[in-house]
Amino acid sequence: MGLLATSRAALAAVLDPILALGRLVAWISIGLMTIIILVQVVFRYLLGNALPWPDEAARFLMLWMTALIAPSAYRQGGFVSIDLVSSMLPRRIGGALALILLLLALIVLLTGVSLGLKHVNSGWLFASSTLRVPMDLIGMKAFKIKLAWMYLSLLVGIILLAAVNLELILKAVTRLIEPDALPEDKEIPGTK
Amino acid sequence: MLVWFLPVFLVLLLIGLPVFFALLFAPGALLWLNGQERDLALLYRNVYNGMDSFPLMAIPFFMLAGELMNRGGITMRLVSFSQALMGHLRGGLAHVNVLSSMLFAGLSGSAVADTSALGSMLIPAMEKNGYSRRFAAAITAASSVIGPIIPPSGIMIIYAYVMGESVAALFLAGIVPGIMVGIGLMLVTAWMAGRQDFPPATEKATWGETGQATLKAFFPLMTPVIILGGILGGAFTPTEASAVAAAYALMVSLFILKSMTLRDLPGVLTRAAMTSAVVLLLVGSAMAFKTVVSLSHAPEALAAFILTLSENPLILLFLINILLFIVGMFLDAGPAIIILGPILAPIFVGLDIHPVHFAIIMSVNLTVGLATPPMGLVLFVASAVSGEKVETIARAILPFLAVEIAVIFLITFVPEVSLTVPRLFGFIQ
Repeated sequence: MGLLATSRAALAAVLDPILALGRLVAWISIGLMTIIILVQVVFRYLLGNALPWPDEAARFLMLWMTALIAPSAYRQGGFVSIDLVSSMLPRRIGGALALILLLLALIVLLTGVSLGLKHVNSGWLFASSTLRVPMDLIGMKAFKIKLAWMYLSLLVGIILLAAVNLELILKAVTRLIEPDALPEDKEIPGTK
Repeated sequence: MLVWFLPVFLVLLLIGLPVFFALLFAPGALLWLNGQERDLALLYRNVYNGMDSFPLMAIPFFMLAGELMNRGGITMRLVSFSQALMGHLRGGLAHVNVLSSMLFAGLSGSAVADTSALGSMLIPAMEKNGYSRRFAAAITAASSVIGPIIPPSGIMIIYAYVMGESVAALFLAGIVPGIMVGIGLMLVTAWMAGRQDFPPATEKATWGETGQATLKAFFPLMTPVIILGGILGGAFTPTEASAVAAAYALMVSLFILKSMTLRDLPGVLTRAAMTSAVVLLLVGSAMAFKTVVSLSHAPEALAAFILTLSENPLILLFLINILLFIVGMFLDAGPAIIILGPILAPIFVGLDIHPVHFAIIMSVNLTVGLATPPMGLVLFVASAVSGEKVETIARAILPFLAVEIAVIFLITFVPEVSLTVPRLFGFIQ
């Protein structure tokens, strides 16, 4: 029992700051996306000059936004599901079902991690068509951003989701063994 | 063999696996059992490619615009505007509720947001005015389904993206059905007002008061004009229009209404990012699911089965009405569209139903399901906002539901209801 509680606390201690950082990056990203698209519109209409990069840059931000904040959503039960059956079952059986579902989710996520690693590796072969790091401004050679940096977003997201999933599994096991041990889940302030 | 992923998927969904995981687990497991491990990589790639899309970016921007308007006190101004127009009628606040929902629909595209934003304001006001709480909650829930039907609409963006239709055509096609639902609800209200002796809300507003309220609502009400005008006029893509709408909502809240400060911004952005992320992941997994749907020839098998039921498209549409209605009771409209669109749309398009018409049938059907007892999501939100029991609201909402179902049949069996406006604008043949 002590082991369960300790590992839960340890995992939470790691996850809390990482997910908080993820949310910070995510809200900045969605703000930047808006600004970038506005810049695109302004350049096209007011300056008569369509920029090549806003489309890809905004997508880059959207992918990272999704990957970094989705785990927070998952952690507070924000993933859509039909909870009719589990709410009708007796508490113990419902708890066991919840655990099984979490294990299925874990299978999806772990498969995702292994597939994601291959996907990211393939991304080093391709460079972005419009995004480049303007190192020439400081006297060095400019280079294009590899697509792997975009591909990496989903992999990072899945790894974080897997970590959250692990935490949820630990909680589900605790609930099964000791139904009254867990306090109500805390919500992240300002997100509901 | 592969066709079995559909029943597996349904079972997983029903026992409560989150839609995102179910969309990936079922086809993944069947591919694996079928010895097609290499196609698993395809599944992964399609999740990524499904999310990596410029048109899809309209989703986070619309979410952001909606959040900004909720926070920015724009809802309140819409309500006072409706009040000035309709508050003096018998059953005035009930009419105000419906009209506010129709106006709100032009700003946000979510029935849940509509229920919680308008409900928290109008339900107490209606109660104070002498309406029963269950009636107030019921009309709020019933009218909120207009949100995703009148453009702009999140679910229509999702449908357009997943099924490769034109966003503009779907937006335009939703206008008449949305207004019809609104008018239908008002007619029921008027009928009930006569029989149940509803209190009139206020004195008739003077021209000056109406003018004041109009002025205050003017800037918020320009949002749908900017969005639709921009898209239809060819000035913006839907994604750009939604970004402009978000920026506009921010400007209005910060500088014109002064109802929000920069300090509120991180919270608003975080909420918008979080709700969008969940939807984007769902869309990605749906795109992966969709490839397996076509690999498995499931639509052909299903179509063959459905055609054994009847060959008359009208009867099949009726059956689909019932199916969608039931699904809508259990699942939010966005995920339901993501799951059912790729499976059902090809069958009916093959039966010569116009794709845009079918999109509207699906959207309206599923959103009305949201307000349908016993499981409708909006009922639970209305219950949370009002403090009234779900069962009580569920009974009170029945007359309104009857009208909405009548509108669904009208939409289903008279394609012109949906298709005339997009045709006039030349977005469909």
